[in-house]
Amino acid sequence: MSEKVLTKTTAELYKDGWVKAELTLTDESITIGTEKVTIREIEDLELVEVDSSQAIRIKKGGDIVFRVPGKLQSQIFRFLAFNLKSDRFAVYFLSPATRGGVVVTNVKWEKGYLSITDEAVWFLSPNKQLRISFDNLGSVDKDVRTVGGKQRVVLVIAHVEKGEVLTSLVLCPETTLEMLEHYLKQLIEKYKPKSELSDVEIQIATLIYSGVDSVSIESILGISTDELDKYFDKLVDLGLARVVKIRKELELTPKGVAVVSEAQKSQNIMR
Amino acid sequence: MPKVLIVDDTAFMRKLLRNILFSGGFDIVGEAENGKQAVELYKQHKPDLVTMDIVMPEMNGIEALKQIKSIDPQAKVVMCTAVGQEQMVKAAIKLGAKGYIIKPFQAPKVIEEVKKVLGLN
Repeated sequence: MSEKVLTKTTAELYKDGWVKAELTLTDESITIGTEKVTIREIEDLELVEVDSSQAIRIKKGGDIVFRVPGKLQSQIFRFLAFNLKSDRFAVYFLSPATRGGVVVTNVKWEKGYLSITDEAVWFLSPNKQLRISFDNLGSVDKDVRTVGGKQRVVLVIAHVEKGEVLTSLVLCPETTLEMLEHYLKQLIEKYKPKSELSDVEIQIATLIYSGVDSVSIESILGISTDELDKYFDKLVDLGLARVVKIRKELELTPKGVAVVSEAQKSQNIMR
Repeated sequence: MPKVLIVDDTAFMRKLLRNILFSGGFDIVGEAENGKQAVELYKQHKPDLVTMDIVMPEMNGIEALKQIKSIDPQAKVVMCTAVGQEQMVKAAIKLGAKGYIIKPFQAPKVIEEVKKVLGLN
């Protein structure tokens, strides 16, 4: 049986720069220029930022990165997300239930899928295609919640998005829930940092997450700048944090000392 | 400046909350490391708001909330909990807690929740 063409459009393929290419999406494959990929063989998919614009990255062995103008890009992304190679489970989900430690109020339960690809866990519904890479999975636990007026066992998945901890809830038959919990726990174990952190390192990571600045971290934990720098280096080396700003420590030159001294004199005069 | 009482059994979490709330313009009138101390400090300081950990030695946050509410039915208490303790939060809300924050939390979200409970937004 021949493939049914769903859309044909001009697109751009990224090959050390953007190259114009024709894109053809059928019910079985996607072709961008000379690259043809069977949709059922796509191992993962992601929206990525390239040259300040949003593009789609397809993983099938290597990576194929392309962009499509206008709304069509999100439609193609949605189609691929629903049809790529994955383990998919029909669930109800609420995502996010909390963000940054506070309940999100304007979110509703959605009927859709929890899909597991080569690199990520997805929440899929017609309105939402949320990808959580395995690196961003924090924890998974069962809990009881009131859903539709009934007490139900749900999975609480903690994950990270743009530096914030979010929790999402999953509701499905209990046998599927057990299996999902086990599956996700194994993934979290596999992707968690190999090196264990000490109590003080965990405290520092918690303070960074909460938005506390370096000077306050030193004061809260009673440690010196040098000590804190060493802890920071370890968190960066483990891939748990990245440097966003380097603090400067200064010493005054004789000229600077003279300015300060002069200023003090004039303050005395002002009194 | 609204007066806040911080209740948590770990010194680290108390320091973190103190730092966040102080930066947000709140006056920290006291810190308690268990529910029993929290009740005593509440009577002493009559704070505008209490941040209350749930799992604590001697007297847990739920019991402390009950006692504070019996002293002052208008007391504003925000429960402070870890992921997975939502059932206890639900009990706390039924007992009159005005809100809750889940650890780990981010400073702006904590300030937002506290201001919401105090009607400052």
